[in-house]
Amino acid sequence: MHEKIRLELIIERMALKRACRILETAGVSGYTVLPALSGYGRGSRWQRDRDLSASQDMVVIISISDESPIRNVLLKLHELLDQHIGILNIARVEVLRPERF
Amino acid sequence: MDQMLATLLSPMVLFFVLGLSAALLRSQMTIPEAFAKGLAIYLMMAIGLKGGVEMSRSDFSLQVWTVLAAGIVLSFCLPVIAFAFLRWTSKMDRIDAAATAAHYGSISIVTFVAATQFIRSAGLESSGYMVAVAALMEAPAIITALILAQRGQKKAPSVAGSESGELYREVLLNASIVVLVGALAIGWVTGESGMERISPFFVDPFQGVLCLFLLDMGLSAGRGLRQGWRQLDFSAVAFGLYMPLVSAALGGAIAWSLGIQAGDTALLMVLAASASYIAVPAAMRLAMPKAKPSIYLTLSLGVTFPFNLAVGIPLYLYFANLIQG
Repeated sequence: MHEKIRLELIIERMALKRACRILETAGVSGYTVLPALSGYGRGSRWQRDRDLSASQDMVVIISISDESPIRNVLLKLHELLDQHIGILNIARVEVLRPERF
Repeated sequence: MDQMLATLLSPMVLFFVLGLSAALLRSQMTIPEAFAKGLAIYLMMAIGLKGGVEMSRSDFSLQVWTVLAAGIVLSFCLPVIAFAFLRWTSKMDRIDAAATAAHYGSISIVTFVAATQFIRSAGLESSGYMVAVAALMEAPAIITALILAQRGQKKAPSVAGSESGELYREVLLNASIVVLVGALAIGWVTGESGMERISPFFVDPFQGVLCLFLLDMGLSAGRGLRQGWRQLDFSAVAFGLYMPLVSAALGGAIAWSLGIQAGDTALLMVLAASASYIAVPAAMRLAMPKAKPSIYLTLSLGVTFPFNLAVGIPLYLYFANLIQG
Protein backbone atom coordinates (compact mmCIF):
# COMPACT_ATOMS: atom_id res chain seq x y z
CA MET A 1 0.00 0.00 0.00
CA HIS A 2 1.09 3.59 -0.68
CA GLU A 3 0.48 6.67 1.41
CA LYS A 4 -1.37 9.70 -0.05
CA ILE A 5 -3.34 12.67 1.31
CA ARG A 6 -7.13 12.73 1.08
CA LEU A 7 -8.82 16.14 1.04
CA GLU A 8 -12.53 16.38 1.79
CA LEU A 9 -14.28 19.69 1.28
CA ILE A 10 -17.99 20.16 2.03
CA ILE A 11 -19.01 23.44 0.40
CA GLU A 12 -22.08 25.24 -0.93
CA ARG A 13 -22.91 24.28 -4.51
CA MET A 14 -22.62 27.85 -5.79
CA ALA A 15 -18.92 27.90 -4.80
CA LEU A 16 -18.18 24.52 -6.41
CA LYS A 17 -16.62 25.93 -9.58
CA ARG A 18 -14.41 28.24 -7.51
CA ALA A 19 -13.16 25.33 -5.41
CA CYS A 20 -12.57 23.18 -8.49
CA ARG A 21 -10.56 25.96 -10.17
CA ILE A 22 -8.33 26.19 -7.08
CA LEU A 23 -7.75 22.41 -7.08
CA GLU A 24 -7.02 22.26 -10.80
CA THR A 25 -4.65 25.25 -10.70
CA ALA A 26 -2.71 23.69 -7.84
CA GLY A 27 -2.19 20.52 -9.88
CA VAL A 28 -4.08 17.91 -7.89
CA SER A 29 -4.34 14.73 -9.91
CA GLY A 30 -8.15 14.53 -9.72
CA TYR A 31 -11.26 14.97 -7.63
CA THR A 32 -14.82 13.66 -7.32
CA VAL A 33 -17.93 15.70 -6.49
CA LEU A 34 -20.87 14.21 -4.57
CA PRO A 35 -24.20 15.79 -3.64
CA ALA A 36 -24.82 16.30 0.09
CA LEU A 37 -28.37 15.41 1.15
CA SER A 38 -28.87 17.13 4.49
CA GLY A 39 -27.07 18.12 7.65
CA TYR A 40 -27.01 19.98 10.90
CA GLY A 41 -24.77 22.77 12.14
CA ARG A 42 -24.79 25.97 14.19
CA GLY A 43 -28.15 25.06 15.69
CA SER A 44 -30.07 24.55 12.46
CA ARG A 45 -30.79 21.76 10.00
CA TRP A 46 -30.32 22.12 6.25
CA GLN A 47 -31.38 19.91 3.39
CA ARG A 48 -31.32 19.64 -0.37
CA ASP A 49 -34.40 20.56 -2.43
CA ARG A 50 -35.36 23.32 -0.04
CA ASP A 51 -35.99 25.78 -2.84
CA LEU A 52 -36.04 25.92 -6.60
CA SER A 53 -32.92 28.07 -6.92
CA ALA A 54 -30.87 25.23 -5.34
CA SER A 55 -28.64 28.04 -4.11
CA GLN A 56 -28.43 26.50 -0.65
CA ASP A 57 -27.48 22.98 -1.77
CA MET A 58 -24.16 21.60 -0.53
CA VAL A 59 -21.68 19.33 -2.29
CA VAL A 60 -18.73 17.23 -1.17
CA ILE A 61 -15.43 17.34 -3.08
CA ILE A 62 -13.02 14.47 -2.49
CA SER A 63 -9.49 14.57 -3.80
CA ILE A 64 -6.64 12.10 -3.16
CA SER A 65 -3.22 13.29 -4.20
CA ASP A 66 0.42 13.69 -3.22
CA GLU A 67 1.08 15.85 -0.20
CA SER A 68 2.63 18.77 -2.11
CA PRO A 69 -0.36 19.83 -4.28
CA ILE A 70 -2.75 19.31 -1.38
CA ARG A 71 -0.63 21.57 0.87
CA ASN A 72 -0.56 24.12 -1.97
CA VAL A 73 -4.35 24.46 -2.09
CA LEU A 74 -4.94 24.83 1.64
CA LEU A 75 -4.29 28.59 1.81
CA LYS A 76 -6.52 29.33 -1.19
CA LEU A 77 -9.28 27.06 0.12
CA HIS A 78 -9.01 28.80 3.48
CA GLU A 79 -9.60 32.13 1.70
CA LEU A 80 -12.57 30.62 -0.13
CA LEU A 81 -14.07 29.34 3.12
CA ASP A 82 -13.74 32.84 4.62
CA GLN A 83 -16.47 33.83 2.16
CA HIS A 84 -18.48 30.69 1.50
CA ILE A 85 -20.18 28.15 3.76
CA GLY A 86 -18.17 24.96 4.10
CA ILE A 87 -15.74 22.79 6.06
CA LEU A 88 -12.46 21.16 5.07
CA ASN A 89 -10.45 18.27 6.42
CA ILE A 90 -7.44 16.29 5.24
CA ALA A 91 -6.23 12.85 6.28
CA ARG A 92 -3.45 10.40 5.47
CA VAL A 93 -4.81 7.42 3.54
CA GLU A 94 -3.39 4.36 1.85
CA VAL A 95 -4.09 3.57 -1.79
CA LEU A 96 -3.59 0.40 -3.80
CA ARG A 97 -2.45 1.90 -7.11
CA PRO A 98 -0.25 5.03 -6.58
CA GLU A 99 0.08 5.71 -10.31
CA ARG A 100 -3.64 6.68 -10.31
CA PHE A 101 -2.93 9.69 -8.10
CA MET B 1 -64.49 41.51 -3.16
CA ASP B 2 -65.95 38.82 -5.45
CA GLN B 3 -62.73 38.86 -7.45
CA MET B 4 -60.65 38.41 -4.30
CA LEU B 5 -62.83 35.52 -3.13
CA ALA B 6 -62.67 33.90 -6.58
CA THR B 7 -58.86 34.16 -6.49
CA LEU B 8 -58.63 32.74 -2.97
CA LEU B 9 -60.85 29.80 -3.89
CA SER B 10 -59.15 29.04 -7.22
CA PRO B 11 -57.52 25.59 -7.52
CA MET B 12 -54.10 27.24 -7.93
CA VAL B 13 -54.23 29.12 -4.62
CA LEU B 14 -55.81 26.17 -2.82
CA PHE B 15 -53.06 23.81 -3.99
CA PHE B 16 -50.49 26.34 -2.82
CA VAL B 17 -52.22 26.50 0.59
CA LEU B 18 -52.23 22.68 0.69
CA GLY B 19 -48.45 22.57 0.13
CA LEU B 20 -47.83 25.37 2.63
CA SER B 21 -49.98 23.69 5.30
CA ALA B 22 -48.37 20.28 4.69
CA ALA B 23 -44.86 21.74 5.15
CA LEU B 24 -45.83 23.72 8.25
CA LEU B 25 -47.40 20.59 9.74
CA ARG B 26 -44.14 18.72 8.98
CA SER B 27 -45.70 16.33 6.46
CA GLN B 28 -43.21 14.05 4.70
CA MET B 29 -44.73 14.89 1.30
CA THR B 30 -42.11 16.01 -1.24
CA ILE B 31 -41.99 16.60 -4.97
CA PRO B 32 -38.70 15.36 -6.47
CA GLU B 33 -36.28 18.19 -7.23
CA ALA B 34 -35.75 17.24 -10.89
CA PHE B 35 -39.52 17.02 -11.48
CA ALA B 36 -40.10 20.46 -9.91
CA LYS B 37 -37.35 21.94 -12.09
CA GLY B 38 -38.97 20.32 -15.13
CA LEU B 39 -42.31 21.87 -14.21
CA ALA B 40 -40.69 25.32 -13.87
CA ILE B 41 -39.10 24.97 -17.33
CA TYR B 42 -42.44 23.83 -18.78
CA LEU B 43 -44.27 26.85 -17.34
CA MET B 44 -41.61 29.28 -18.58
CA MET B 45 -41.67 27.68 -22.06
CA ALA B 46 -45.46 27.84 -22.19
CA ILE B 47 -45.70 31.48 -21.11
CA GLY B 48 -42.79 32.46 -23.38
CA LEU B 49 -44.32 30.73 -26.42
CA LYS B 50 -47.72 32.29 -25.79
CA GLY B 51 -46.19 35.75 -25.42
CA GLY B 52 -44.14 35.26 -28.61
CA VAL B 53 -47.20 34.23 -30.63
CA GLU B 54 -49.13 37.27 -29.40
CA MET B 55 -46.17 39.50 -30.29
CA SER B 56 -46.09 38.05 -33.82
CA ARG B 57 -49.66 39.32 -34.29
CA SER B 58 -48.91 42.94 -33.37
CA ASP B 59 -46.40 45.64 -34.30
CA PHE B 60 -43.67 47.01 -32.08
CA SER B 61 -45.15 50.43 -31.39
CA LEU B 62 -43.40 53.20 -29.50
CA GLN B 63 -45.58 52.33 -26.50
CA VAL B 64 -44.22 48.77 -26.43
CA TRP B 65 -40.63 50.04 -26.37
CA THR B 66 -41.57 52.53 -23.64
CA VAL B 67 -43.07 49.78 -21.45
CA LEU B 68 -39.96 47.61 -21.97
CA ALA B 69 -37.75 50.53 -20.95
CA ALA B 70 -40.02 51.30 -17.98
CA GLY B 71 -39.61 47.70 -16.77
CA ILE B 72 -35.82 47.99 -16.84
CA VAL B 73 -35.86 51.36 -15.04
CA LEU B 74 -38.24 49.93 -12.39
CA SER B 75 -35.95 46.97 -11.78
CA PHE B 76 -32.94 49.30 -11.39
CA CYS B 77 -34.78 51.66 -9.01
CA LEU B 78 -36.83 49.36 -6.77
CA PRO B 79 -33.80 47.99 -4.85
CA VAL B 80 -32.83 51.56 -3.87
CA ILE B 81 -36.26 52.04 -2.23
CA ALA B 82 -36.21 48.57 -0.66
CA PHE B 83 -32.66 49.12 0.65
CA ALA B 84 -33.62 52.48 2.19
CA PHE B 85 -36.68 50.97 3.92
CA LEU B 86 -34.65 48.05 5.26
CA ARG B 87 -31.88 50.27 6.60
CA TRP B 88 -34.36 52.67 8.22
CA THR B 89 -36.74 50.17 9.73
CA SER B 90 -34.78 46.98 10.45
CA LYS B 91 -31.50 45.99 12.08
CA MET B 92 -30.19 44.37 8.89
CA ASP B 93 -26.59 45.20 8.02
CA ARG B 94 -25.64 46.71 4.66
CA ILE B 95 -24.88 43.37 2.96
CA ASP B 96 -28.11 41.62 4.05
CA ALA B 97 -30.18 44.71 3.19
CA ALA B 98 -28.59 44.98 -0.28
CA ALA B 99 -29.06 41.26 -1.02
CA THR B 100 -32.69 41.40 0.13
CA ALA B 101 -33.28 44.58 -1.91
CA ALA B 102 -32.01 42.76 -5.04
CA HIS B 103 -34.77 40.15 -4.61
CA TYR B 104 -37.45 42.85 -4.42
CA GLY B 105 -36.20 44.64 -7.53
CA SER B 106 -36.18 41.45 -9.58
CA ILE B 107 -39.31 39.43 -10.40
CA SER B 108 -41.02 36.14 -9.63
CA ILE B 109 -41.99 34.43 -12.87
CA VAL B 110 -44.41 32.09 -11.04
CA THR B 111 -46.32 35.06 -9.59
CA PHE B 112 -46.41 36.49 -13.11
CA VAL B 113 -47.72 33.22 -14.57
CA ALA B 114 -50.40 32.96 -11.87
CA ALA B 115 -51.40 36.60 -12.45
CA THR B 116 -51.87 36.02 -16.21
CA GLN B 117 -54.35 33.23 -15.35
CA PHE B 118 -56.28 35.42 -12.90
CA ILE B 119 -56.35 38.29 -15.40
CA ARG B 120 -57.77 35.98 -18.05
CA SER B 121 -60.40 34.57 -15.68
CA ALA B 122 -61.40 38.17 -14.83
CA GLY B 123 -62.14 38.66 -18.55
CA LEU B 124 -59.22 41.02 -19.21
CA GLU B 125 -56.64 40.93 -22.00
CA SER B 126 -52.88 41.17 -21.55
CA SER B 127 -50.20 41.76 -24.19
CA GLY B 128 -47.61 39.20 -25.23
CA TYR B 129 -44.75 41.68 -24.85
CA MET B 130 -45.29 41.67 -21.06
CA VAL B 131 -43.34 38.37 -21.06
CA ALA B 132 -40.38 40.29 -22.53
CA VAL B 133 -40.83 42.93 -19.81
CA ALA B 134 -40.65 40.11 -17.21
CA ALA B 135 -37.42 38.76 -18.73
CA LEU B 136 -35.87 42.24 -18.85
CA MET B 137 -36.72 42.86 -15.19
CA GLU B 138 -34.84 39.78 -13.92
CA ALA B 139 -31.29 41.12 -13.85
CA PRO B 140 -30.93 44.93 -13.40
CA ALA B 141 -31.79 44.79 -9.68
CA ILE B 142 -28.71 42.64 -9.04
CA ILE B 143 -26.43 45.38 -10.43
CA THR B 144 -28.12 48.02 -8.26
CA ALA B 145 -27.76 45.79 -5.19
CA LEU B 146 -24.03 45.33 -5.86
CA ILE B 147 -23.58 49.10 -6.06
CA LEU B 148 -25.58 49.59 -2.84
CA ALA B 149 -23.53 46.96 -1.00
CA GLN B 150 -20.20 48.47 -2.08
CA ARG B 151 -21.09 52.18 -1.76
CA GLY B 152 -18.79 53.88 0.72
CA GLN B 153 -16.92 50.62 1.39
CA LYS B 154 -13.38 49.65 0.44
CA LYS B 155 -13.30 47.55 -2.69
CA ALA B 156 -13.43 43.94 -1.49
CA PRO B 157 -10.71 41.64 -2.90
CA SER B 158 -12.02 39.01 -5.32
CA VAL B 159 -13.01 35.68 -3.79
CA ALA B 160 -10.40 32.90 -4.19
CA GLY B 161 -11.07 30.78 -7.26
CA SER B 162 -13.45 33.29 -8.84
CA GLU B 163 -13.22 34.05 -12.55
CA SER B 164 -14.01 37.26 -14.40
CA GLY B 165 -17.46 37.17 -15.94
CA GLU B 166 -18.82 34.30 -13.82
CA LEU B 167 -21.38 36.53 -12.09
CA TYR B 168 -22.61 38.01 -15.37
CA ARG B 169 -22.94 34.50 -16.84
CA GLU B 170 -25.00 33.47 -13.82
CA VAL B 171 -27.15 36.62 -14.00
CA LEU B 172 -27.71 36.91 -17.74
CA LEU B 173 -27.70 33.23 -18.74
CA ASN B 174 -29.66 31.69 -15.86
CA ALA B 175 -32.35 29.16 -16.78
CA SER B 176 -35.26 31.61 -16.35
CA ILE B 177 -33.88 34.15 -18.80
CA VAL B 178 -32.65 31.59 -21.36
CA VAL B 179 -35.94 29.63 -21.43
CA LEU B 180 -38.20 32.67 -21.28
CA VAL B 181 -36.39 34.69 -23.97
CA GLY B 182 -35.78 31.58 -26.11
CA ALA B 183 -39.43 30.47 -26.01
CA LEU B 184 -40.56 34.05 -26.67
CA ALA B 185 -38.35 34.18 -29.79
CA ILE B 186 -39.54 30.73 -30.97
CA GLY B 187 -43.19 31.72 -30.46
CA TRP B 188 -42.58 34.99 -32.32
CA VAL B 189 -40.86 33.25 -35.27
CA THR B 190 -43.26 30.29 -35.61
CA GLY B 191 -46.44 32.29 -34.92
CA GLU B 192 -49.91 30.81 -34.62
CA SER B 193 -49.29 27.92 -37.04
CA GLY B 194 -46.37 26.73 -34.93
CA MET B 195 -48.38 27.08 -31.74
CA GLU B 196 -51.28 25.05 -33.15
CA ARG B 197 -48.99 22.04 -33.52
CA ILE B 198 -47.80 22.10 -29.92
CA SER B 199 -50.89 23.46 -28.17
CA PRO B 200 -52.06 20.03 -26.88
CA PHE B 201 -48.87 20.02 -24.79
CA PHE B 202 -48.39 23.69 -23.95
CA VAL B 203 -51.92 25.14 -23.78
CA ASP B 204 -54.44 22.53 -22.59
CA PRO B 205 -52.52 21.06 -19.59
CA PHE B 206 -51.12 24.46 -18.54
CA GLN B 207 -53.46 25.16 -15.61
CA GLY B 208 -53.11 21.64 -14.21
CA VAL B 209 -49.31 21.84 -14.34
CA LEU B 210 -49.48 25.24 -12.65
CA CYS B 211 -51.50 23.67 -9.80
CA LEU B 212 -48.87 20.95 -9.40
CA PHE B 213 -46.09 23.51 -9.42
CA LEU B 214 -47.85 25.72 -6.88
CA LEU B 215 -48.24 22.70 -4.60
CA ASP B 216 -44.43 22.40 -4.69
CA MET B 217 -44.04 26.15 -4.17
CA GLY B 218 -46.28 25.85 -1.11
CA LEU B 219 -44.04 23.10 0.24
CA SER B 220 -40.91 25.21 -0.40
CA ALA B 221 -42.46 28.30 1.19
CA GLY B 222 -43.59 26.32 4.25
CA ARG B 223 -40.20 24.63 4.68
CA GLY B 224 -38.46 28.00 4.28
CA LEU B 225 -40.71 29.60 6.89
CA ARG B 226 -40.27 26.72 9.31
CA GLN B 227 -36.47 26.78 9.04
CA GLY B 228 -35.86 30.51 8.60
CA TRP B 229 -38.44 32.35 10.68
CA ARG B 230 -36.04 32.78 13.62
CA GLN B 231 -33.88 35.03 11.43
CA LEU B 232 -36.76 37.42 10.77
CA ASP B 233 -37.81 40.08 13.23
CA PHE B 234 -41.10 42.00 13.08
CA SER B 235 -39.69 44.80 10.91
CA ALA B 236 -38.37 42.32 8.33
CA VAL B 237 -41.70 40.47 8.10
CA ALA B 238 -43.53 43.79 7.83
CA PHE B 239 -41.15 44.76 4.99
CA GLY B 240 -42.10 41.54 3.15
CA LEU B 241 -45.75 42.66 3.31
CA TYR B 242 -45.58 46.42 2.65
CA MET B 243 -42.76 46.47 0.07
CA PRO B 244 -44.89 44.68 -2.60
CA LEU B 245 -47.60 47.31 -2.08
CA VAL B 246 -45.10 50.17 -2.46
CA SER B 247 -43.61 48.57 -5.60
CA ALA B 248 -47.05 47.83 -7.08
CA ALA B 249 -48.08 51.45 -6.51
CA LEU B 250 -44.97 52.60 -8.38
CA GLY B 251 -45.64 50.12 -11.19
CA GLY B 252 -49.28 51.26 -11.33
CA ALA B 253 -48.26 54.93 -11.52
CA ILE B 254 -45.89 54.19 -14.42
CA ALA B 255 -48.58 52.14 -16.22
CA TRP B 256 -51.08 54.98 -15.71
CA SER B 257 -48.64 57.54 -17.14
CA LEU B 258 -48.06 55.29 -20.18
CA GLY B 259 -51.79 54.68 -20.70
CA ILE B 260 -51.52 50.90 -21.17
CA GLN B 261 -54.55 48.62 -20.93
CA ALA B 262 -55.86 47.32 -17.58
CA GLY B 263 -54.50 43.76 -17.99
CA ASP B 264 -50.99 45.05 -18.75
CA THR B 265 -51.22 47.54 -15.89
CA ALA B 266 -52.04 44.69 -13.49
CA LEU B 267 -49.11 42.66 -14.85
CA LEU B 268 -46.66 45.57 -14.49
CA MET B 269 -47.88 46.01 -10.89
CA VAL B 270 -47.41 42.25 -10.26
CA LEU B 271 -43.90 42.30 -11.77
CA ALA B 272 -42.94 45.30 -9.63
CA ALA B 273 -44.46 43.74 -6.49
CA SER B 274 -43.05 40.24 -6.86
CA ALA B 275 -39.72 39.15 -5.40
CA SER B 276 -37.30 36.71 -7.00
CA TYR B 277 -36.50 33.33 -5.45
CA ILE B 278 -34.85 31.50 -8.33
CA ALA B 279 -32.39 33.70 -10.23
CA VAL B 280 -31.36 36.24 -7.58
CA PRO B 281 -30.60 33.84 -4.67
CA ALA B 282 -28.12 31.98 -6.88
CA ALA B 283 -26.51 35.24 -8.04
CA MET B 284 -26.30 36.49 -4.45
CA ARG B 285 -24.40 33.38 -3.32
CA LEU B 286 -21.73 34.30 -5.89
CA ALA B 287 -21.78 38.08 -5.54
CA MET B 288 -22.43 38.49 -1.80
CA PRO B 289 -21.66 35.17 -0.09
CA LYS B 290 -21.67 36.88 3.33
CA ALA B 291 -25.38 37.77 2.98
CA LYS B 292 -27.67 35.36 4.84
CA PRO B 293 -29.97 33.30 2.56
CA SER B 294 -32.17 32.51 5.56
CA ILE B 295 -33.20 36.19 5.56
CA TYR B 296 -33.67 37.01 1.88
CA LEU B 297 -35.03 33.65 0.77
CA THR B 298 -37.44 33.28 3.69
CA LEU B 299 -38.75 36.80 3.06
CA SER B 300 -39.23 36.48 -0.70
CA LEU B 301 -40.48 32.87 -0.75
CA GLY B 302 -42.13 32.52 2.66
CA VAL B 303 -43.68 35.96 3.13
CA THR B 304 -44.00 37.94 -0.11
CA PHE B 305 -44.86 35.13 -2.52
CA PRO B 306 -47.88 33.83 -0.51
CA PHE B 307 -48.98 37.43 0.14
CA ASN B 308 -48.90 38.28 -3.56
CA LEU B 309 -50.65 35.07 -4.56
CA ALA B 310 -53.51 35.32 -2.07
CA VAL B 311 -53.96 39.07 -1.51
CA GLY B 312 -51.71 41.04 -3.83
CA ILE B 313 -52.83 39.84 -7.27
CA PRO B 314 -56.57 40.50 -6.74
CA LEU B 315 -55.69 43.85 -5.15
CA TYR B 316 -53.46 44.88 -8.07
CA LEU B 317 -56.14 43.71 -10.51
CA TYR B 318 -58.72 45.84 -8.69
CA PHE B 319 -56.53 48.95 -8.79
CA ALA B 320 -55.51 48.32 -12.41
CA ASN B 321 -59.21 48.32 -13.34
CA LEU B 322 -59.69 51.49 -11.33
CA ILE B 323 -56.75 53.23 -13.02
CA GLN B 324 -57.37 52.15 -16.60
CA GLY B 325 -60.97 50.91 -16.53
